[in-house]
Amino acid sequence: MSPVPTTENPFAGDNSGIQKRETIARWALRVGSYIVVIITVAIMLHIFIKGAPVTFQSKWPFVNTQFLTELPATLHVIEDKQGNHYETDVNGADAIKKKLGDNFRAEKTISYSGGGILGPIVGTALLVIVSVGVALFLGVACAIYLSEYAKHGKFLELVRLAILNLAGVPSVVFGLFGLGAFVLTAPVFVDVPADRSVFAIPLGFTTLSFEGWDTCVLSGGFTLAFVILPVIITASEQCLQAVPQGFRETSMALGATRWQTIRYSVLPFATPGILTSSILGIARAAGETAPIMFTAALAFKDKLPWQKDLPPLPADASIFAHWDQSVSRFLGIFTESVQALPYHIYTLAAKIPQNEYAERAQYGSVFVFLVLVASLAASSVLLRKRLRAKYRW
Amino acid sequence: MSADSAAKAKPPPVVQVRDMDFCYGTSKALFDINLEVKYHRVTALIGPSGCGKSTLLRCINRMNDRVPSARVTKGEVLVKGKNIHDTDVDLTQLRKQVGMVFQKSNPFPKSIYENVAYGLRIHGEKNKNLLDEAVERSLRHAALWDELKDRLSANALALSGGQQQRLCIARAIATLPDVLLMDEPCSALDPISTLKIEELMSQLAREYTIVIVTHNMQQAVRISDFTAFLHLGKLVEFSPTEELFTNPREKLTEAYLRGTFS
Repeated sequence: MSPVPTTENPFAGDNSGIQKRETIARWALRVGSYIVVIITVAIMLHIFIKGAPVTFQSKWPFVNTQFLTELPATLHVIEDKQGNHYETDVNGADAIKKKLGDNFRAEKTISYSGGGILGPIVGTALLVIVSVGVALFLGVACAIYLSEYAKHGKFLELVRLAILNLAGVPSVVFGLFGLGAFVLTAPVFVDVPADRSVFAIPLGFTTLSFEGWDTCVLSGGFTLAFVILPVIITASEQCLQAVPQGFRETSMALGATRWQTIRYSVLPFATPGILTSSILGIARAAGETAPIMFTAALAFKDKLPWQKDLPPLPADASIFAHWDQSVSRFLGIFTESVQALPYHIYTLAAKIPQNEYAERAQYGSVFVFLVLVASLAASSVLLRKRLRAKYRW
Repeated sequence: MSADSAAKAKPPPVVQVRDMDFCYGTSKALFDINLEVKYHRVTALIGPSGCGKSTLLRCINRMNDRVPSARVTKGEVLVKGKNIHDTDVDLTQLRKQVGMVFQKSNPFPKSIYENVAYGLRIHGEKNKNLLDEAVERSLRHAALWDELKDRLSANALALSGGQQQRLCIARAIATLPDVLLMDEPCSALDPISTLKIEELMSQLAREYTIVIVTHNMQQAVRISDFTAFLHLGKLVEFSPTEELFTNPREKLTEAYLRGTFS
């Protein structure tokens, strides 16, 4: 080999199998990634194209307010002899039929596909509030204990294993657990225990009866809380561990108790991360169907949870005049069963005959649902970005 | 025997370590340590890495309690005459009176004011005037007041490394401890910041009893009144600094000081 430049390429590859395998591997990995992207984009586009026209409109206010602010209703489609179709609700059907007179040919009714989806939106919101509230309380408490108090050892490993397993439990199992635990046996204060009460503890002025909460927001929210609990515990623990050990040492060296240390120099710096993870928990809780099927959700309900046939409160000068009733009515919201978006979508997709009229509600609901979840996820990303910039050390 | 008059003339040692053994689990880290820290003097702990000088320091405010399975297996540690392992010793009170400054300056990502006030706040001080006074006094003692008095609400992380370490000293002395433990406080600092901290220490020695771990022997010579040399968990020699450096009693000390360690 001559050290002086020659016309020959001294670095020419030998085109061996090594290089071929490199090319194959690179392309296989690339194609795999592209397939994932294509499928995601296809789902999004399909739902956007079909669902956006239901939710948005070309005229002011550009959003289909009817779809977002009305309760689901049965859709009546009336056909005349020329083949024109009139879509209306149950109240408008007779008027149209009368107007058409002899021209009337047929009437079709499609369940749940008329009106809007306010009921499911409200229900999902209530379920999310209860579940995230419960899960944050339990999850953060558990994470703090595991991260700051628990001694390393067999027991801690066991707890972590349990949490990991909880994350792997199929959601329908959570649903059945919720049915058994919250719907049928959770304790309530009542004057007279119901027949189905598992057992009752008389307390003198009232009775603590284990007769369940029935299907309601509370039952569903607690069940969902257990679904998202592993996510919140794991994420919160990571956030706590990310706070430098030096903060804890310094705080303890200044004479702080463990709780003071956690309260003043660990939690404040872990809170941004914990909140971010809880938003992802919201998205998860909002999306689950199976856990609420038996515990909270109804296929159809023509009232919002706060619309009950109760006499109006007397109009007094002070709004606090009947505060006890106001409070009990407010709490009553959580003891109502509700419609929820994922279960509503399931009902629309699986429980009614498929035709072009049902499609409108189906895609509309899916689109609204997707937008809600996506905006929650986006806000968590934004929040994380902003808080990370703010709390650096 | 005039023990009484001797005690009056010379205050008793603030920290006494007596025949102490210390273990991490089953491995012994300190062997039969005897040490007396004199009132308002600077005592330096020197020795090669891993000799147990930081462990010994952390025995004095029981920071080793944080390490599971770490414990004193023999002997006792007395601070102000009280055995700190007695069951009636409240750790928070002990640590309030035995302050500590760490190797890595680690101010909280809070304002300068909140950093200094932290120790008082956790001990329940709510009076704004008292807090203000304590913050000013501590920052003055740490020679930071003139630099920082106009930006007490600024985030402590915006300070330079040397300032951060002095802030940590201010934070540690805000609760008016009797003893100040310093674990290689200058090891992460540049020479100028180190000089400032050393000046600060000689001033602080008028009001506080200081125990400092250092691996910089010149620093020990410059700032300390007494020096303890540790090797492999044993206290080899403990004498006035000048004596130890000019006329060491032990061969091992001499070898270490000369840098000819076998």
